[in-house]
Amino acid sequence: MEIGVLPDPALLYLPLATYQGDMDVVVDAGQSVTMYQLVAASSGTFAATIHAPVSGEVLGVTEIAAERYLTIKNDFCYTEKALTVPDTAAWTSEDFLQYLLYAGIEGSGGARFPTHLKYRVAPSTIKTFIINGAECEPYLSADYILMKTAGAKLMAVLQIIQRMLMPDEIVLAIEQQHKELAVPLAQMAKQFGLDIALKILPNTYPQGGELQLIKSVTGIEIAKGSIPAHHGMIVSNVGTLWAMAGAFLEGKPYTERIITVSGNRSRTLGNYRVKIGTPLGHILRETQHEWNQQAQTVILGGPMMGRAAVSPLQPIHKGVGGLLLLENADPQQMNCIACGYCVDACPQHLMPLEFVRHNQEEDLHQLKAFHLEDCIACGACAYVCPSDVPLMYHIQVGKEKLRQERSDTSV
Amino acid sequence: MRLHPHITQRYNTVQFVMLDVLLALLPIMCIAWLAYGELALNIFATAVGAAIVTEFLFSGILLKRWRSVFDGSAIVTAILLACTLSPLTPWYVVAFGAFAAILFGKIVWGGLGKNRFNPALVGREFMAVFFSSIMLSPHIWTTNGLVQTATSTFFPMAADAYSEVYLQSLVYKTGGALGEYSIVALSLGGFYLLLRNRISWHIPLALLTVFIALFWLVPAAGGRQFSLAGVLLGTLFMATDMPSSPTTARGKVYYGGMIGLVAFLFILGNVRFEYMSYAILLLNGFSDRISYTFQPRVWGRSTDWKQQVEKIFVLTLSIFAVTLAVLSLYYYNLTAYVVYLYILYIIFKFNFSLHKKVNNPV
Ligand code: SF4
Ligand code: SF4
Repeated sequence: MEIGVLPDPALLYLPLATYQGDMDVVVDAGQSVTMYQLVAASSGTFAATIHAPVSGEVLGVTEIAAERYLTIKNDFCYTEKALTVPDTAAWTSEDFLQYLLYAGIEGSGGARFPTHLKYRVAPSTIKTFIINGAECEPYLSADYILMKTAGAKLMAVLQIIQRMLMPDEIVLAIEQQHKELAVPLAQMAKQFGLDIALKILPNTYPQGGELQLIKSVTGIEIAKGSIPAHHGMIVSNVGTLWAMAGAFLEGKPYTERIITVSGNRSRTLGNYRVKIGTPLGHILRETQHEWNQQAQTVILGGPMMGRAAVSPLQPIHKGVGGLLLLENADPQQMNCIACGYCVDACPQHLMPLEFVRHNQEEDLHQLKAFHLEDCIACGACAYVCPSDVPLMYHIQVGKEKLRQERSDTSV
Repeated sequence: MRLHPHITQRYNTVQFVMLDVLLALLPIMCIAWLAYGELALNIFATAVGAAIVTEFLFSGILLKRWRSVFDGSAIVTAILLACTLSPLTPWYVVAFGAFAAILFGKIVWGGLGKNRFNPALVGREFMAVFFSSIMLSPHIWTTNGLVQTATSTFFPMAADAYSEVYLQSLVYKTGGALGEYSIVALSLGGFYLLLRNRISWHIPLALLTVFIALFWLVPAAGGRQFSLAGVLLGTLFMATDMPSSPTTARGKVYYGGMIGLVAFLFILGNVRFEYMSYAILLLNGFSDRISYTFQPRVWGRSTDWKQQVEKIFVLTLSIFAVTLAVLSLYYYNLTAYVVYLYILYIIFKFNFSLHKKVNNPV
């Protein structure tokens, strides 16, 4: 298995939405941009940046599926902005954080939390730095392929992180199914003078969930909503480290990532390196597929937590690990038979079936009493439900109601 | 709106659940067939036929769901009901039982999954009330003359040696209801369900442990008769029924343990034959409350033990209170009125609240 490269599209749509809010465009329509030039940014606590993945002309802001995107027309010249490789040896931890922000690094596992914020911790409070090498979801293998082919880069980045955060230990967590990576990675770590512990995880989903991963590695169970760094832990995804490698070792901002193209209707299974902003229609074309909503559903992300695409223009963003083509399912909804499978499956130890009941009864009090707010929306409950009860729908609507209520009372 | 997850387990649908239960019931049915031949098959066939017709008609008329026959639950209910009957039960009584099980045990609650009581046992209680003279007559339970394959056929060696008797009672020994002839066949089915995760070990283990421990520990229990196979049938196939049992693991342990305890109390209170049915139905009524009381501890959060203990205490007290009530009703021969009340209640519920909720998944 290797990482495939796809030709770049003629038009790229850079997502302006970030972890919170939208970024402000800092270039004008009609202006030409060079590759790696900053095109949009936001300030404040959840500051973020995005850079042009190609050189070309800015066409303006478009809306696709209710989100804002900056359109760039690719001139295929790849005129690069002169890159300066940062002098990481001289960095203070503030330089380090600033560089993460400058390069637009954010979590590549899905939630897109800005990495510079995650790493902003009081000096020497981090006990365990965990590298999340467990694929977040079934079907995806982008993290695996990175560990397999880009081990040296990852280690080089880890050296820098080691110096900046000074954790007591670094743990690489990988799944049982990828056990064969353990030895080569450990050897490589030794070459880089790193002391990395390996943790083999079971193949179950959702192993890659941050809270569950922390428990598997450190034995500490932290509640949803509390910040791992406050417990002396930081978890970073392999994909995020790879993005950092581009930034730290070559001076490149985060403009491309690895995605898995897969699914039961996919004909060309594989991992590809694509530019952020590449519309999925383009990827489908280049991998001998087509956009056909009657025949298949295209999922941005993994099968458990990914979102069904509604338009072929929707692009890859920094948190998308895959593009799945799945047969259109025809769920046979039946009554809940109270089998309790969803209760057994829930990694947060909740009672998902109760969310359905109480959401229907609009009983916000009960929704809270059954801890809906602790749900991490992993979809495990709906996956095992034999009756195809629309659990995720009720969970989402229920959460929305609770949010509504909170904002009503806080006014 | 298309929501995640975009995949589900392929071979895990309600139909597959029901298919697994049917497969698990196969060994007992074979044994019943061995023992009574066509007589047994007739009972099974009558029950299944009546259940399917009832399901089709009433699910269609009352719930507007004509296709629900295909979920397979009616067949499972009918076979479970048949397992609790004597091979000599008249066909119209069997048909009535299956009809009552489906209509009053399930459909008037809103269909499969919404019922709070085990439908097969509900059907059985209806039979006991409306055909009490038949169901309780010693005549239908005297079946020795009809046995087609005698127990001794299996163990032609010394028929009276102690180990032989022991073996017989484990493997094949006719007597009692159709589902009670073989502890081995019952356990086989139970293990299959366990392996397929259609039941969890919590309920059977807790139930049997408590039940057997009590027999050992309480001297007053000495000499009281009960059918181990009957208890096993109830434990593996009735108490574990999904809709009417709790959904949480700890809840299941408590629920199973309480069924064992209540069944034991009923035996002490001289309840004959029905101790298992009563105990399971009684605890069915509490299963939601048990689930809530024994919620799993939410990830990363701690439990308020004091509050927890208080809740469990109140719950246990209520269960004891109801047990006492049932015992007194039994003592004064008034249990039939419970069934009448149940009918009134369920019709009221159906007319005034249920029909609005019929198409809701929970
Ligand atoms: S999505 Fe379901 S399984 Fe996952 S945390 Fe929420 S309730 Fe639990
Ligand atoms: S898995 Fe589905 S059918 Fe089973 S209890 Fe949960 S919601 Fe009900």
